Amino acid sequence: MAVPDYFAWTKQLFDPAGAFRKPEALRGIRVIDLGTIFLGPSTVSYLAEFGAEAIKVELPGIGDPLRAIGPIYHRNMSLFMLSEPRNKHFIGLDVRKSRGAELFRRLAAKSDVLVENFRAGTLDEWGIGYRQLREINPRLIYSGNNGFGQWGAFAESGRASYDAVAQAESGMAAITGFPGRPPLKSGGYVGDYLGAAVSAAIILAALHWRDRTGEGQFIEFSQTEQLIRSLDWTWLAHRLAGVKRTQHGNRDVAISPGDIVPCADGMAAICAPTDAAFAGLCRAMGRADLAKDSRYADAVSRAREENATALLEVIRAWAARKTRTEIEGLAAQHGFSAARVANARDHVEDPHWQARGQVVRTDDPLYGEIWNYGSPPKLSATPARVKWVGKPIGMDNNYVLRDILGLTTAEIKDLEAEGVIGKWANRPGQKPPDDWAGEGQAL
Amino acid sequence: MSQAENPTEAQSWSEWIRERDYPSAAGTKPEALDDLVVLDLSVANMAGLVCSSFLSEFGADVIRVEPPGGDPARGFAPFGLTQNGTGLGYLNEGRNKRHMTLNLETGEGREIFRGLAAHADVVIESFPPGAMHAWEIGYRQLAPAHPRLIYCGIATYGQFGPRAAHHIPDSDLVAQALSGVTYVTGLMDEGQGDPAAVPTKQGNWHGWFVGGVWAAFGILAALCHRMATGQGQFVDLSPAEALMRSADYSLGLLKLAGRVRERMGNLDAGAFPYTYVRCKDGYCFLSGFVDLNWQALCTIIERPDLRDKYPTVPERSRPDNQKKIHAELEAWATQYTYEEILHKIQVYDRTVGKGAVATGKITEPAEVVQVENWWERDALRIVEDAHYGELLVSPPAPKMTRTPPRLKWVCRPVGADNGAVYARFLGYGRDRLADLRSRGII
Repeated sequence: MAVPDYFAWTKQLFDPAGAFRKPEALRGIRVIDLGTIFLGPSTVSYLAEFGAEAIKVELPGIGDPLRAIGPIYHRNMSLFMLSEPRNKHFIGLDVRKSRGAELFRRLAAKSDVLVENFRAGTLDEWGIGYRQLREINPRLIYSGNNGFGQWGAFAESGRASYDAVAQAESGMAAITGFPGRPPLKSGGYVGDYLGAAVSAAIILAALHWRDRTGEGQFIEFSQTEQLIRSLDWTWLAHRLAGVKRTQHGNRDVAISPGDIVPCADGMAAICAPTDAAFAGLCRAMGRADLAKDSRYADAVSRAREENATALLEVIRAWAARKTRTEIEGLAAQHGFSAARVANARDHVEDPHWQARGQVVRTDDPLYGEIWNYGSPPKLSATPARVKWVGKPIGMDNNYVLRDILGLTTAEIKDLEAEGVIGKWANRPGQKPPDDWAGEGQAL
Repeated sequence: MSQAENPTEAQSWSEWIRERDYPSAAGTKPEALDDLVVLDLSVANMAGLVCSSFLSEFGADVIRVEPPGGDPARGFAPFGLTQNGTGLGYLNEGRNKRHMTLNLETGEGREIFRGLAAHADVVIESFPPGAMHAWEIGYRQLAPAHPRLIYCGIATYGQFGPRAAHHIPDSDLVAQALSGVTYVTGLMDEGQGDPAAVPTKQGNWHGWFVGGVWAAFGILAALCHRMATGQGQFVDLSPAEALMRSADYSLGLLKLAGRVRERMGNLDAGAFPYTYVRCKDGYCFLSGFVDLNWQALCTIIERPDLRDKYPTVPERSRPDNQKKIHAELEAWATQYTYEEILHKIQVYDRTVGKGAVATGKITEPAEVVQVENWWERDALRIVEDAHYGELLVSPPAPKMTRTPPRLKWVCRPVGADNGAVYARFLGYGRDRLADLRSRGII
């Protein structure tokens, strides 16, 4: 069977236009999001994009700090809230009040997964921690996500943490950036987002165990420890060879040649992860002789410091005269790894990312057309989809309280009067668009 | 149940949960994914290896299928460093896997693979898109006889879309470069032609790591669907797209404000202060971006004037104000060591406690290994590996009460498990393997 036929088949198999006509992998799984910012909430978004029913619980009139930050507002909503929360129902419920905690326990009794990102023991103190909830729902999968875990010196000293703390204390920031320059915080919240992806995958593994046995469990997830785990060869090299890993700019010091280099019209990554890729790069540079040089005969030899730096000098001189598009074309032609340093405009202008549903244009019920990045894995039978993004606080109170928990209108009014449940305050980030006419609520 | 009725609740939460999820007891507990057989065919690709590491840490029986000469990823060697012939990059992700060899470039090798795939729940591969298909062992050919199969292909541009056929070998550098995260990371250009003021990648193989994690997520989501329906499917994963998701609102900013998100050094794209500053003995993190926490920070640094000068989130977030606030914080922090700063924050927590300020120490790996907390937490461990000797490794991070992930072994040499795997799945013994070896099939 010829290869071109393969791409006609995959195009049809994965066609993003067909996503809403296909089933959802996580249909029927109810997930409570009692987190703030990214580490907890993005975990829940990732599950909700594959069909889990997500219920985000926020304090009435306050809500997730994501509502209060970010560079711009659109129709009274913060940009972060238009990007990270996906497909969630929003309720305003004060779980610190005893009647609020009681409602929360009722919700947990009817849920499959709870994700929170408080400091160790916070929910336990409020009477809605794992010790209490497992009594009423032994099938519950409870994921406590934070910086330092639930026990140990750091966790028990009550230290607060954020993505950038995890980047700092794991060693990640100290190995990012250029030699002799300040340690670098990523421009993206990579510790939170990696942590959320790992956390979502752990939850799926725990769901698989529950499918087999009926047993729920507690998951303790420290994003700092996850970043330590993600620093690849750092720890092996430290003990085996005394390598004190530090900053190497854009070089990949384990795969040579590999660097991000200036080209005639911007920056591009160039890398040769195999002998064949290296030979291809040498051909593209008109330097087939290098592929025969004994210093560069195999990957381990190429990675030796003096050989790696010599190669990079040749590559830099060559790349400086080429445009990024030329280098990308030569990479495909000769089989080495290269691509431009892309920004959002590159993503939108390249038809490839659109055709893959990676650039997603959502027609949101409240906010109209919103552009976002799609969920990374593309599944042929049960693809991810974006139904809507963030909503005002408490927008779906009725759905959750009436439909799921079976409260009466009188009970709901009474809870509102007592401030146990509630909605948005009259400020951007919390309230609906000015011309809102009731759209976007699950009733 | 009230506390009086349940004596265990007299225990603090931390003590209680530690008794139930302490990592040293992991070996006595069941494994969430021990009903899965995974064939990892990935070549020169750490995303594939990270994906299968995740599955193997949760109990899946992961079989690495390497070409007879070994996966070229065994040559991923920082500064040329190897241990017993395997580069340290590969060594870290060989964990809990069986290592067999099979030459898929031969017809006989492919026929053997069909026999193995019949036993597999999951196949992971990173060949050029369409290569497995052309060999007639791709998802389309395997699925009719094996509809439960979950098949994951990993490629820079994925399995479909206009660029998919223009294959390039995948690399972490390319995944990072394409993601949009590298574009927004790095020192700001102050117009001095500073060669370090350029888009900057994460120091680790972050594109590949997050790519591997998202592949595992996709496989496990597919597994949920299979549990419900019996149907497998094709999972298409691009490491570049995996990290792209970490560029969060970048597309929204372009659409709604018509502007491209740019690098901000150690300032922040969300709110401020949320930054690294120099202190007396290095660098530390300081935060206080929502109003209550900003007020706490201004109290701690004894600068009520700053509280009034930058009273709101939008005022603190303006790039010019971020620079001014950063300078003020650094002027304060350079008077103290990190421990002194942490102490001041903890005293505030105990005595005032209104709002919360987080801090953290920018820690080099050589210092990370000296932090007792990580050893207590089993975030670092020294193991004696049967093939590679005494190694410092990072075990799986999650702790779980019922099915904790675990590290069983670190890595094995090329073909170390040939005898065991071929006997178990295909009934091949010593004579058959000798024959296959002599003909370069294994």
